[in-house]
Amino acid sequence: MKVAIVGGSGYVGGELLRLLLRHPEVEVVQVTSDSMAGKPIGRAHPNLRKVSPLLFTPHARLQPADATFIATPHGESMGRVPEILTSGGFVFDLSADFRLRDPEQFPRYYGRSHPRPDLLSTAVYGLPEFHRDAIRTASIVAVPGCIATASILALRPLVEAGFVDPEHVVVDAKSGSSASGRDSGPAGLHAERSGVMRAYAPSGHRHTAEIEQETGAHVALTCHGVEAVRGVLATVHAYVTRDVDEKELWRTYRAAYGSEPFVRIVHESDGFFREPEPKILAGTNYCDVGFAADPHAHRVVALAALDNLVKGAAGAAVQCLNLRAGFSETTGLDFLGLHPI
Amino acid sequence: MTNCPECEATVPNHDKIPGEVFPCIDCGTELEVLKTDPFAVQPAPKEAEDWGE
Repeated sequence: MKVAIVGGSGYVGGELLRLLLRHPEVEVVQVTSDSMAGKPIGRAHPNLRKVSPLLFTPHARLQPADATFIATPHGESMGRVPEILTSGGFVFDLSADFRLRDPEQFPRYYGRSHPRPDLLSTAVYGLPEFHRDAIRTASIVAVPGCIATASILALRPLVEAGFVDPEHVVVDAKSGSSASGRDSGPAGLHAERSGVMRAYAPSGHRHTAEIEQETGAHVALTCHGVEAVRGVLATVHAYVTRDVDEKELWRTYRAAYGSEPFVRIVHESDGFFREPEPKILAGTNYCDVGFAADPHAHRVVALAALDNLVKGAAGAAVQCLNLRAGFSETTGLDFLGLHPI
Repeated sequence: MTNCPECEATVPNHDKIPGEVFPCIDCGTELEVLKTDPFAVQPAPKEAEDWGE
């Protein structure tokens, strides 16, 4: 299968290249970047130097491919997707442009109206754990946001189980600096970022809309930037409507994820890594999900950890490609991570 | 075969002997074999840990 990557010079583009260049069923035939046009991919992604002769090409020279991955900033893929679809291939959009089914949500969270609301209903939200069958036939797969992925995987089983109040859910998320992208501006300078525990979105974070769409809960989301390059940890506080013990939580999460290849239930009574921890997931496509009952506060705490650039972006896109193309779902995603790291 | 008393994971016998201590594969709880026929386990005693909380 021949694939192209639009916007390949950013961090997500680099992770797409890292995964797809070693994918046994895929040939990366083109990667575009206006800012890096003519330069080898190793110039933007030094971990990839001398592993491929690919050079970045301008966006305007994009050629049709069997599948096209779009890793451009929010707002740019809206204009590209219709033309790509006419070439007959399918699209994996890693921006937010096709994640929300309700076009009325776009002005609220992205400051503009969606130019092609007719396409929103055809896009499939690319979270295999809940949309596997729809992804297999989708022409547009909207890859979820990183904080949204972690939050949804932690929260949705609780809502579906029916023992938490869906109108009062709090999500507290921490993320590493790479989640802001390569062009994050002065806020990402070492002098400004090093050592922070920064509440960069106490309320109103854009991923709120995705989480609510995919869980049906009314969510209060607060996001912090912390001293890490990669990683997201989402801590969900959900208030129970009846008594719930940890055995029931085990049953709930086993029912949701017991056969999932990339979601692990982590809630251990011993060892250093008892609950989900992003540190050991760097580079992997795993999302570790954990929980604790808190009868004192009539609460369940659910936790989810992932690498924002992999299960939170490029790895999820490759997982969706595998489903869409009929490959084994785990193909090219078998990296187990590093410890210590 | 039995179930972990903490998380209800399936715990296979696998030639274990009474008194043997082993971890649950799901929740990591140290389990002690009470008897093998029928197979039964209980959480093994452990020292409390102080993580500086």
